[in-house]
Amino acid sequence: MSTTTPETLTHSGTSDAVRSYPKFLWWGLSEATNGGVGFYLWMLVLTAISLVGANAWAHQVATGMIVTNMTDHVSWGLYIANFTFFVGLAAGGVMMVIPAYLYDDEEMHKVVIIGEAVAIAAIVMCTLSVVVDLGRPDRFWHLLPGIGRLNWPVSMLTWDVIVLNGYLLINLHIVGYLLYMQFLGRRPNPKWYVPFVFLSIAWAISIHTVTAFLYCGLGGRPFWNTALLAPRFLASAFVSGPSFIILVMRILRLTTGFTPPTGPARTLIQIIRIAMTVNLIMLASEVFTMFYTGGAHAASARYLFFGLHGHHGLVPWMWTSLACNILGTILFFMPAALERGSVRISACVLCIVGIWIEKGMGLIVPGFIPSTLHEIVEYTPSLTEWKVSAGIWAFGFLILTLLLKLTITVFNRSDVSHGKNHANLSI
Amino acid sequence: MSNTAPPDDSNAAPLLPILNQPSSRRTALKVAGAALGLAAFGKAVSPLMVIPENVSVDEFLQQHYKELSDDDKSKVFARLEAETKEHYGADVTISDPQAIPGVKFGYAISLSKCNGNGACMEACNKENNHHRGVDQSYIRVLEMSKGSLDMEHGSTTYDHTVPQDDKFYMPVQCQQCDNPPCVTVCPVEATWKEDDGIVVVDYNWCIGCRYCEAACPYHARRFNWEQPEIPAEDVNPVQAYLSNRIRPQGTMEKCHYCLHRTREGRAPACLEACPTGARVFGDMNDPESDINYVLKNKRVFVLKEELGTQPSFFYFFD
Amino acid sequence: MSVGLVAITGLYLAANIGSPPDPESSRLSPVTSAVPLAKSTADGVGGSELPASRSTSEDANPYPTTIRKPIGPPQVLTGITDPHGNAVTVSCSTCHATRKPNTENKTMADMNEFHGSLKIAHGNISCLSCHNANDYDSLKLADGSRIEFTEVMSLCAQCHGPQMRDYEHNVHGGMNGYWDLTKGSRQKNNCIDCHNPHSPQFPKMQPTFKPRDRFLQAHPHE
Repeated sequence: MSTTTPETLTHSGTSDAVRSYPKFLWWGLSEATNGGVGFYLWMLVLTAISLVGANAWAHQVATGMIVTNMTDHVSWGLYIANFTFFVGLAAGGVMMVIPAYLYDDEEMHKVVIIGEAVAIAAIVMCTLSVVVDLGRPDRFWHLLPGIGRLNWPVSMLTWDVIVLNGYLLINLHIVGYLLYMQFLGRRPNPKWYVPFVFLSIAWAISIHTVTAFLYCGLGGRPFWNTALLAPRFLASAFVSGPSFIILVMRILRLTTGFTPPTGPARTLIQIIRIAMTVNLIMLASEVFTMFYTGGAHAASARYLFFGLHGHHGLVPWMWTSLACNILGTILFFMPAALERGSVRISACVLCIVGIWIEKGMGLIVPGFIPSTLHEIVEYTPSLTEWKVSAGIWAFGFLILTLLLKLTITVFNRSDVSHGKNHANLSI
Repeated sequence: MSNTAPPDDSNAAPLLPILNQPSSRRTALKVAGAALGLAAFGKAVSPLMVIPENVSVDEFLQQHYKELSDDDKSKVFARLEAETKEHYGADVTISDPQAIPGVKFGYAISLSKCNGNGACMEACNKENNHHRGVDQSYIRVLEMSKGSLDMEHGSTTYDHTVPQDDKFYMPVQCQQCDNPPCVTVCPVEATWKEDDGIVVVDYNWCIGCRYCEAACPYHARRFNWEQPEIPAEDVNPVQAYLSNRIRPQGTMEKCHYCLHRTREGRAPACLEACPTGARVFGDMNDPESDINYVLKNKRVFVLKEELGTQPSFFYFFD
Repeated sequence: MSVGLVAITGLYLAANIGSPPDPESSRLSPVTSAVPLAKSTADGVGGSELPASRSTSEDANPYPTTIRKPIGPPQVLTGITDPHGNAVTVSCSTCHATRKPNTENKTMADMNEFHGSLKIAHGNISCLSCHNANDYDSLKLADGSRIEFTEVMSLCAQCHGPQMRDYEHNVHGGMNGYWDLTKGSRQKNNCIDCHNPHSPQFPKMQPTFKPRDRFLQAHPHE
């Protein structure tokens, strides 16, 4: 591990410290790109996939969105499906922050920065997912208040733009500040991060609520026009986020030897158990309301679960999602989930897949089928859409890897200098 | 941590002093890798280079329609006319008719008369310079079963002699709602309701997020999934900035009550084309107008009234 | 553009009026004269400087509303051409002067000498409900008074009052031109432009233009 640090960085004067933050970041970048063969292979593959995605997107911008399979009937597809899922992932990080800061969970304190790193990567993926969905990304500046025309507070999309960027900035600040302090070997000053942490808790709830309001406020889309959408989003976010974080911690253990304490994973699993149960109850409530009342409002649900008028493209997706969710929940509830890694990992993967479908293809697409004039046009993503989405996923993982690498490097370095022999990410 | 320490050349002079990194094989490889990565990225996104060709700096920097002065507007229209000539080979004039003061447009269709022939769709397609490949139009005609207004039993894909004895026909187009959900949701105010009731789109301001298309309960909005292609001889040269000029790729569009005609006092293209005379258009603020005659004397209804959109588009039976 | 549409509409309608090529069908012609519409409703406000309404043909509105009219009673082809090559036609009264009017005649079966190819589907009315037995080159109103073929709309309006009232408000029969008569004129159809007087039901049509949307399949149950 490199121990090279320019001399100026050890100076403890505040003015120098502030000026050195960019240098710290530069140092961080060089550290985060150090690793073994496996690490470089991983980064290479992610870069390659990102480039494929970038190329597919550039082609889409040049030729027009006709290269996707979206139509005037189903005008949002895989990109917005991914967007919805990523917002949930970003909000899920808050389920580490709450125990760590509101309940002073000592062990969770040690790993909470992982949740925040996941949140940052997820928000980047959110933003990219929306940008690739724009018909005119060159007109992005129209959204900037002051030089463009931001239709705030009337349009929910403007709220979404503001809260997502705000959440990104909050988390970047918290993570950057804490790592920097750790790097300098100084105690972080609570006034510089604790208020932001508490803000991030409320903000995390808001990002997913606002995203849900985007959909559920539309009277013309009865499938989405339900008060339960925002609570459902939050419940499923608090499953997908923590599941993802459990997986990340497992991967960190396998690749870096970083051994997290067992407490946080247990806490996360307890949270997942509750959140998933709530999610399933809400799903049952939606299903009952739609099918018991019947009528035209249930048309989308009928299409999704059973097919409509001979069209049943999404039926296998939905039942797969249901199976994954239920199976994942059962696995999470088993005591083996707390004891055996394999059970835990399977449960996480099942829930992530189930929720990705439920919130993505199983929510966005059926909102458009049948159309507002009750026509049925089905949708499966085109190759371009898959490529661009893969590129976004890969880029997100790239960011996450760099952030985690930086985090572990910073903490390893300070622990080595303080004589500890295992990483302690305690903040 | 499975990090391996770099080879210990830290005593040698820095390879690239400006980067302030220890010179080492690893650093050199990283720099080479970064350069390669940047080159690969540049190649990957090279299709984007078509944007500077198609989008001029003036178009990129163009402000919202409501912030353009008359001078700005004439420059914009001149530029658009020139671009149309260059790209489509057609000479067009782009005007900017304003709403007639005191007028509020209303439109009604007699469901007793409409026989689903679709001439209105064809007229719309020709009048509004739609992309030729898909026979697009702002109007969709639904074949409905007599006895039910439920569009669940409707169909737009009928292709037989009309009218069928057990069916009636309902064209649906933008309802120019008084409480338009599309205007509410637009993040950049690219669409708004004008004083005469028409909901318009500034095609050069729209960012193509398609939120309005998701919000519209009447399937009124269309998106330009590709660059419209129209042969020069098919281009309707009488155009307006907010209505039937050839729209750019990646932007939304919708029925605009042919404002380049109606604001000059003419009937919309769909009304003139209707062979059965099912369509009625006029000024709702004029007590003597045809539309007011309908509203006062006929059994009138609007679509999806429970959504509170308050359409200014009405349906009636004789 | 609107002239073109008028022409197209006229031709389209002429081509679609249901009866087979019939030597007796009336010849339609472009407008002969401007026909100001009667003032529409009782409480019409008469403005002096500004038009009270842009939609009605009041004196304040400079532009007229014109209605197409037939040129006159139908002429029958004799099959003979005159020395100039023009077809020789005779008027209805030429043959009918020698015949006794039969008020019972209603259907094609009743006309065994001539007019047998005419498709009659106009309710249960007899021929002489509209045709004038005293002058076969004209029509008659319900009270027996004579009207010209060119004024056939008044005859239709007697029985079809609601349709005429709608027509006067442009809610029946369509129009070409301007909704705002302060800016331009309007052209309207005659009843018989769309409705063959002997078989008035509006003819069936074939849709010729359909949107071809991506991934939209025709319904299987059609």
